[in-house]
Amino acid sequence: MNLDPSETQVLLRDTLRSFLANELPFDQVRACEKEGRADAELWGQLREHGWLATPFPSSLGGGGAGLVEAGLLVEELARRAAVVPIVEALSCGAALARCGGERGAELVRGLIEGAITPVPAVLESSDRFDAIAAEAAGDGSLRAEKYFVDYAGFATHHLVAARRGGETGLYLVDASHPAIKVEPHATIGRTPQAVVRYDAAPAERVAGEDGYDCLVQVARALCTVQIVASMQVSLDQTVAYTSVREQFGRPIGTFQAVQHHVANMATEVESVRLLAYEALDSLDRGSATAERIAIAKAAASRAVPEVTMLGHQLHGGQGYIEENDLYFFTLRGKDRSLAWGTADECLEIVAREIEKPTDWL
Amino acid sequence: MDFTWSAELIEFRDELTQVIQQWRTPELLKEYRENHGAAGPLISEFQAELNRRGWSRMCWPEEYGGRALNPLYQFVYVETMEYWGMPYGNLTYTSVAPALLEHASEEQKKEYLPGIWEGRLRFAIGYSEPNAGSDLASLRTRAVRDGDDWIIQGQKIWTSGAEVATHVWLAARTDPDAPRHQGISMIIVPVDAPGVTVRPLWTMSGVRTNETFYDNVRVPYSNLVGPLNGGWTIIMHALNHERVGLSTTGNLAVHFDDAVRYLREHRPEALADPHVRRRLAEIKLELLKHRALAIRNAVTIAGGGIKPQEASMTKIHGSELRYSLSNSLMDLLGRYGGLSRETGELAPAEGSFERTWRASPILRFGGGANELQRTIIATRGLGMPR
Ligand SMILES: Cc1cc2nc3c(=O)[nH]c(=O)nc-3n(C[C@H](O)[C@H](O)[C@H](O)COP(=O)(O)OP(=O)(O)OC[C@H]3O[C@@H](n4cnc5c(N)ncnc54)[C@H](O)[C@@H]3O)c2cc1C
Repeated sequence: MNLDPSETQVLLRDTLRSFLANELPFDQVRACEKEGRADAELWGQLREHGWLATPFPSSLGGGGAGLVEAGLLVEELARRAAVVPIVEALSCGAALARCGGERGAELVRGLIEGAITPVPAVLESSDRFDAIAAEAAGDGSLRAEKYFVDYAGFATHHLVAARRGGETGLYLVDASHPAIKVEPHATIGRTPQAVVRYDAAPAERVAGEDGYDCLVQVARALCTVQIVASMQVSLDQTVAYTSVREQFGRPIGTFQAVQHHVANMATEVESVRLLAYEALDSLDRGSATAERIAIAKAAASRAVPEVTMLGHQLHGGQGYIEENDLYFFTLRGKDRSLAWGTADECLEIVAREIEKPTDWL
Repeated sequence: MDFTWSAELIEFRDELTQVIQQWRTPELLKEYRENHGAAGPLISEFQAELNRRGWSRMCWPEEYGGRALNPLYQFVYVETMEYWGMPYGNLTYTSVAPALLEHASEEQKKEYLPGIWEGRLRFAIGYSEPNAGSDLASLRTRAVRDGDDWIIQGQKIWTSGAEVATHVWLAARTDPDAPRHQGISMIIVPVDAPGVTVRPLWTMSGVRTNETFYDNVRVPYSNLVGPLNGGWTIIMHALNHERVGLSTTGNLAVHFDDAVRYLREHRPEALADPHVRRRLAEIKLELLKHRALAIRNAVTIAGGGIKPQEASMTKIHGSELRYSLSNSLMDLLGRYGGLSRETGELAPAEGSFERTWRASPILRFGGGANELQRTIIATRGLGMPR
């Protein structure tokens, strides 16, 4: 067992970290938020540097690494509040690479080379992953209404979850087709999101039920890492700030009450981080279960608002204004806690198998 | 013991609710939202209606145009206004006016009180400074006497509402050599006095607050309220009132009612889910705990006292409930819970749960951080050693 990133993983993480520190000022993020758009420039850079290829097999032109590495990339991007569809595109890629056959492999190559940027379009008005009702017609056209589609307007293609003959599968739709209408939402996370209406849009079946499951599990696990990043930044910033902010003639970080809050934050971050990367590791090793990924996501979703709110409490007024960067992580954290299964929806998955014996070692 | 409201108070609440229903139009709410607390035409008319009915100063002494009613009337008034999200003067009304009534001179009362209840005068509160937050007594903005004037030099931060206020209720250091708590005075500063600058600070809740700068600002010496160097007691008194005003149940309870209504109308299958109902029941339980604390506090004040530990309990519970309640409601609503008002119809209760969630940090550190409030409960309330 080794719970720390390997040397190569550290190198990957640090390279991206310093790249983002130089290339992605927070004002660029503010501009994207304000204009309701994705960061196309950064997305292009990520592709050029080959980061998007990281988790895909070398046979497809990928970096030959796994989802743990994908998680490290996702975490770094989330730590800079980057407005790019990294989780969306990589989870589409993973589902296509693993369950999409020849056509899937071709699409992954397209993703790596920059021909396509696919994002999932899964939820409907029911807001449930286990209640997909959209029907893909036998003639290859799709009528559906998809809700909460992240980066719908930025993507070149949507990977739409739809049913045919009782089976839920993934259908590729060209996002520029006139039969598609995108209505943007405003959300707490301030990243682009929309309701998408497909009015007999041409749709190509690219994966079956296993592809759909894979998509949801990978996205859920990567989203958990985004949450970890939010908590980590909130914690780091709080430790730094309370160590220098003085009131009553001493740094507020010397008050026991403050230290206890920070300790609680750190314990949450540490435990959830381990669950998140364990989930990704199990996906790489083929030993993942929906239940364990759901546990990681539920734990993260519960923890993140608590942790970020404590961060605000300890920052006082300074953390509450948008001139400070803290709010990105609070708002993104809450947004991600609702994405890819809320704590409640994930706990339902756990509850369903509650009598199954657990290996506690 | 008697846990019931008197018939008169219920009658008052019902009458007030009726009036609110007549005035609470989407146009008025929009005006309230967009003017950041400044009275536009609709709000001014509403304010005039409240004044005509004698409600805005019903608890004031008769010599200042009030009816000297039991302070529980004010509690019911503020709770009802907060529930419906209606403007009523807010901190000027709940914090500055009581301080003036208690500490201002006769001339000052004549000068300011009528303007407050008519809604003409609005005060921003100028206590906090960049280096004087929780440790307010370390404030450094200086006021120096120059003949018949004060000359004020310094900086305040978080001067909320200064952009629409007529005056700042300013805490200034008037004796730098005295012990920290004994060299502070309260001075009323017109916002339009030369040398006052207001710079906006935008918060993650979308609400504006300000930095205010005072560069050789000259105001009459007679703008001093209460005794020279006696400002600290006035601030503490006003802060206790402020804490009560900041800890109403109404503006939290409305979310519960909105959530039940939204679920019934838009997601009946969710409302039928026992798990959802249990979560709502848990929220209700916390709301009723909060209501109990708030009423306890109000009854103590109505009896002529104020117990700091009661104000602190109410403030802590209310500020943390603001978070946990909005957080739970967002979770219950899943991704719908994350939609903001700008989304339009799809956003539950016009995005109000999401908005309240974003606004929930402020009261945990504002008005005295919760850590400090907990110390007050332990030491002053329970007599534990300091
Ligand atoms: C939107 C907004 C509106 C405001 N409106 C007004 C206004 O109108 N007028 C006005 O005068 N002020 C206003 N305030 C200021 C508010 O009262 C202060 O933010 C508050 O007093 C806390 O001060 P601070 O922000 O400097 O935090 P700090 O004093 O730096 O404290 C930060 C945190 O440190 C911890 N801490 C500090 N001291 C201790 C201790 N002794 N023991 C344990 N923990 C401690 C607490 O967790 C605290 O929350 C407003 C603030 C905001 C953000």
